[in-house]
Amino acid sequence: MEKDGRPNWDSPMQFVLACVSYAVGLGNVWRFPYLCQLHGGGGFLIPYLIMLLLEGLPLFYMELAIGQKMRLGSIGAWTSISPYLGGLGLASVVTSVYLCLYYNVINAWSFWYLFHSFQSVLPWAVCPINSNRTGPTEECEVATPTQYFFYRETLNISSSIEENGGIHTGQALCLVLAWAITYLFIVRGVKSTGKVVYFTATFPYLVLFIYLIRGVTLHGAINGLKYMFTPKMAELANPRAWINAATQIFFSLGLGFGSLIAFASYNQHNNNFQNQAIVVSLINSGTSIFASIVTFAIYGFKATLNYENCLDRMRLLLLNTFDLAEDAISMDSVLEWTEKLNTTYPEQFAQIADKVREGECNLEKELDTAVEGTGLAFIVYSEAIKNMPLPQLWSVLYFFMLLLLGMGSMLGNVTAIITPLRDFKIMSRMSNELFSGLVCVFCLLLGLGFTTTSGNYWFTIFNDYAATFSLLFIVLIEVIAVSYIYGIKRFEKDIEDMLGHRPNWYWKIMWAVTSPLLLIGLFIFYIINYIQGGTPTYQAWNKEHFYFLLNRQYGLSLLKVWVRSCLTKSPVIPCTPKRK
Amino acid sequence: MLEKILLLLSLSLSVAEGLCKPGVGEAYKVRFSIKTALGDQAYPWNKNEMFLFRAALAFAMRDFTNGEEFGVSDIHPCNETQRVSFWFVVTRPKTMDLVDKGTVEMAIKKSRNRINGAFLLTDKTLEFDGIYPTLAAPVSPDTPPWLIVFGVVMGAVSVGIIALLVYPLVQRKLKKNMDADDEDSDEETGVKTAENGANDGIYNSTFSDDERFTQM
Repeated sequence: MEKDGRPNWDSPMQFVLACVSYAVGLGNVWRFPYLCQLHGGGGFLIPYLIMLLLEGLPLFYMELAIGQKMRLGSIGAWTSISPYLGGLGLASVVTSVYLCLYYNVINAWSFWYLFHSFQSVLPWAVCPINSNRTGPTEECEVATPTQYFFYRETLNISSSIEENGGIHTGQALCLVLAWAITYLFIVRGVKSTGKVVYFTATFPYLVLFIYLIRGVTLHGAINGLKYMFTPKMAELANPRAWINAATQIFFSLGLGFGSLIAFASYNQHNNNFQNQAIVVSLINSGTSIFASIVTFAIYGFKATLNYENCLDRMRLLLLNTFDLAEDAISMDSVLEWTEKLNTTYPEQFAQIADKVREGECNLEKELDTAVEGTGLAFIVYSEAIKNMPLPQLWSVLYFFMLLLLGMGSMLGNVTAIITPLRDFKIMSRMSNELFSGLVCVFCLLLGLGFTTTSGNYWFTIFNDYAATFSLLFIVLIEVIAVSYIYGIKRFEKDIEDMLGHRPNWYWKIMWAVTSPLLLIGLFIFYIINYIQGGTPTYQAWNKEHFYFLLNRQYGLSLLKVWVRSCLTKSPVIPCTPKRK
Repeated sequence: MLEKILLLLSLSLSVAEGLCKPGVGEAYKVRFSIKTALGDQAYPWNKNEMFLFRAALAFAMRDFTNGEEFGVSDIHPCNETQRVSFWFVVTRPKTMDLVDKGTVEMAIKKSRNRINGAFLLTDKTLEFDGIYPTLAAPVSPDTPPWLIVFGVVMGAVSVGIIALLVYPLVQRKLKKNMDADDEDSDEETGVKTAENGANDGIYNSTFSDDERFTQM
């Protein structure tokens, strides 16, 4: 314990692991590989690393410095810098609350899948049989078994955001469990969090390594890896690539939520956070690249499998229509036989011409299907896993890793809420355990809304809008406040006080010039994008028509609300949609 | 005599061939995918296998109609291809009346497993065009397995939380008891050693304000 009675990390290693555990989250696994694929494979690393140097590192350093210096949560820290900036801290807390509400639902899904992996046949591997016992259920036949399991059995999703059913009991139970475990990890504050992060920060790497070995030895993985590593340099000219790199670095490091300030506030005064900032940022980016290698190996396996299945279907179709001997057509000769049969028996071929065109087999097309987010984690990956030998083992490992990544990030999110609120005198009269418990129960009760049948649509709103725009604004104000309101000179002196040396010119230029400009650029881009996008739409799973990708429109007028609230000192973004 | 029998047989055969017309009337198409199912251990398709098929189907008809004496000669195949697919019709025993499609279908459905087993094939590799296999009923256990794992994990977490909450309370209680014991024992010893004054702590001036004397 320090002189002021504030609890401390047991060792600097715990702090580093806590930051790694927080920063390395689901986004590294499911967003970065998607961006890599979208923007030309290996070439995307160039804008990514440049953005890491220009905005990621300096902003990360800055947040750690503020936390360690002020030794308070985000509200207290910004109030110390300037009494008018208290709203900034409050905005961080509110954004963290939004994040906590919906993030643990992902952990609930991971638990659901993890528990369902303990069966001899994975439930997402086969379709359930219809009541006549003649074949699979209609909905499952049109979609794939993995999609059916996710949308029907896991979410029991309704057709639109307006239609509301009851709570999915299984999901609710898993959400309760997720919050119980979160409470277990934070109940003793840094003392318990510090011990937990040894596991949550390191075990995912073990699983990723095991998956790397398994992934590259899978049949067809090399196709995916080749696809990833052939850089398409032309993509670098696309400004979207640079913008996506900037936003990815920004959100991946978890800036603006107040978690880093909260973690750093438990540090010793002379902790060398400069090296730690560099280490954590590099580990975060390295993990993204590592995870995308694994993901692309899996993609390659899945694409090759689908391609070969497609060829086999074509082969059977040709064999059955033209009654040729079974070994007449092999997998390699399907295409040439298609040509031959087309020319020799044109009338008969015309009968199946539609089917042949529909079932056109193309490996490139399979590899091109870029998926991100929950679709990648729960649908694409589980499809790949069900085809591996001993799928139960791989499934358990994979969802356990997702859980650790998600739980590690939750630790940071909840700490970002509890630490600043505990700094208030009123709250500190309550015991630690009771206060943490109240926060967890509050978030749990509100989070139950995401387990209803339309919950996934609400989840998507929160995921896309709750933390993106406001965070940019928060961090922009943060960096301007530190550089110009607090002053670079004072900040330098504080750092010298803590570390023993002043930050060199690179850091100062980034804080004062580059990062603010970059953030303003991103901010403007987001606004333009939003205005140009018209009424926001979302993809709904329509049970009657059995197709996904039905774009519906929100009746929202979010922009008006945003602009109004951004002009006030404490930007608070409500996310309740208003029907026109 | 022999010629008469031969004449009758050829007559019946030609009539039967007339009966079996692909795609028309009561004919069913059947498709074998032996190489797909058995790979290296695939047996070649020949007249003997065809005989087995006819026998198996006759058995299926007998089983379904409960005793009507169908024989191998009542199953008439035609249009055999290299795919190993052919059409067939079934006639009533001792007559040339075709058995309707519905009856044939139900007979095959009833004995599907036996027919598959005779050829070491499955529902997917021995296909009857138009007869869909009845899939096995899904096994639904009393408690879904995921609930069991959930219960275990939830129980462990609850125990952990309770332990973490109760442990410091228990520690404090133990400490209080120990302090109370210490105080009791201190009082006793204090009474005994009060004369010594060892518990009060005597101020030893040797260690205070030495600097006054050492600064030169």
